[in-house]
Amino acid sequence: MVAMRVRLGRLELENPVLVASGTFGYVREMAGFVPLARLGGVIPKTVTAKPRAGNPTPRTVETASGLLNAIGLDNDGIEHFRAHHLPYLRSVGTKVIANIAGEDEDQFVRMAADLGEEPGLAAVELNLSCPNVSHGLDLGVDPAAVGRVVSRCRQECPHPIIAKLTPNVTSVATVAKAAHEAGADAVSLINTVVGLVVDWRRRRPILANDIGGLSGPAIKPIALRMVWQVHRAVPGLPIIGIGGICSSDDAMEFLVAGASAIQVGTATFADPTLAGRMVDELPAKLAEAGVSDVNAFIGTLRSNKD
Amino acid sequence: MQAVAPECARQRSVEVIENVRIARDTYRMRLLAPEIARAIRPGQFLMIRPTRPGTTDPFFGRPFALYDTILGASGKPEAVDLVYLVIGRGTASLADRMAGDRLEVWGPLGNGFGPPPEDGGPVTFVAGGIGQTPFLALGRWWLGSRGYGDPPEHWSGARAGSAELLYGVRTAELAAGVEDFREAGIAVTLATDDGSAGHHGFVTEVLEDRLRKGRRPAKLVGCGPPAMLGALARIAEREGIPCDVSLENQMACGFGACFSCVVPMRQADGSVDLRRVCVEGPIVPAAEVAWPIGDGH
Repeated sequence: MVAMRVRLGRLELENPVLVASGTFGYVREMAGFVPLARLGGVIPKTVTAKPRAGNPTPRTVETASGLLNAIGLDNDGIEHFRAHHLPYLRSVGTKVIANIAGEDEDQFVRMAADLGEEPGLAAVELNLSCPNVSHGLDLGVDPAAVGRVVSRCRQECPHPIIAKLTPNVTSVATVAKAAHEAGADAVSLINTVVGLVVDWRRRRPILANDIGGLSGPAIKPIALRMVWQVHRAVPGLPIIGIGGICSSDDAMEFLVAGASAIQVGTATFADPTLAGRMVDELPAKLAEAGVSDVNAFIGTLRSNKD
Repeated sequence: MQAVAPECARQRSVEVIENVRIARDTYRMRLLAPEIARAIRPGQFLMIRPTRPGTTDPFFGRPFALYDTILGASGKPEAVDLVYLVIGRGTASLADRMAGDRLEVWGPLGNGFGPPPEDGGPVTFVAGGIGQTPFLALGRWWLGSRGYGDPPEHWSGARAGSAELLYGVRTAELAAGVEDFREAGIAVTLATDDGSAGHHGFVTEVLEDRLRKGRRPAKLVGCGPPAMLGALARIAEREGIPCDVSLENQMACGFGACFSCVVPMRQADGSVDLRRVCVEGPIVPAAEVAWPIGDGH
């Protein structure tokens, strides 16, 4: 038996396997493929203060080992989420982490306060990093703004607060440090990497939104580097690793690099049962690593220069 | 937004039994997948992942409509046939697979077709490009010659009096499975862009010609490029003929999680909202689509 329980600030998970917001629908879409109660937790699609239609199509295009997307936070808004999705989410038998995106600081804080009134939520993840909406982007690249949002959300919302950070910055550690100092229970690293896919014959970008966010196996090395960097630069800040995780071996790489939990993201689209299988497979991988507790493995990556 | 994939949808590793070329760039693949074959209905689809083990490129599954199910010795559906046109990396990779290879698939997905017209009248299928594929199983089901499910259920109500396929392709060599349709009792009329077979021009022109001559179907069903479907929808509306369309769109998952495959649909309150083809379709009434659709709209 390998102990799988992990703690991220005030958030405790039965195991480190989570699923990334925007890749698991509102969770009910996945009930036929994944034994939901066995996951460490689920994170439904981002909700915004008001309903958003999202972007026109094409919204996604496949790239080399990846996906460029510009969905545009298509959702029915927080009121609909509370009335329609939360009752179902409370019934799935695992930790539920709501993911919210505001157009400005005040909207983030109001939504966090609203969700603070809701029972049955394990945490709130702040999407400070969606590249496909006009406002949120600027906020996530500014350490001071990230610090203010996290701090105010903590004051207004009793649930643990997770800051989901963008990789589209020069120093992710600086932003992570600001989130940590503001009281974030954890940071999620990374959201998508801004990219462009071009049709040169038509002289047009493929996506209707022109640019989009790159995810999938193509970005895994970037994500691992950022997780490790933040782990070393901001001691004591729990990290949730995200980015191209397609197997339990990939999950092990993130854990050893410093992630206390991981999110299966884009790979769910191509392998819908993956997250459930990963829960089954990880204990054997940890046993292979010679540990009886996942916490003895997390963050034990050693530099070749040490 | 409550729509989800059918409860019976499963992800399975399945064996390729056959993968044969049936027209230019067009293949019929037979997959040994008893569980899916017994659950799937005409108009539903499968996602097939072309990714080879240990690789990550191409990464995503591709959606394919059910062409037909194949019954085993027990009389129960054992395998599914899919017909596909090689157009990109994913389908090119599938074309290389041989009997004995394994593929990850998930399904059945989508809503499937409803029952035939109540009056037992004639039905006309209008297909463009590779859009003929959903109509073999549908024709057999509506004509009462095949059942689907476990055990296979024949349609018990009034059957379609007759079924015909109006099938438009760029050129004659791309017409795939015409014999399959004729053997199933579905009359086929071709239209080609280059005049190499059948009517020289759009397939919807063949339909217009039928209507001018008073040959009026009780039901129209379309599958093909968005512009063709839009033209079909206009004809159906003008003539007051009930019309369903089988939509296709760029899809990463097929089960409602990725929100890639949305199309604008008219809502009951008159507004237009984007809906996921994979879980709220692919079969929708043509009158509910906010035409025109497709890239650039």
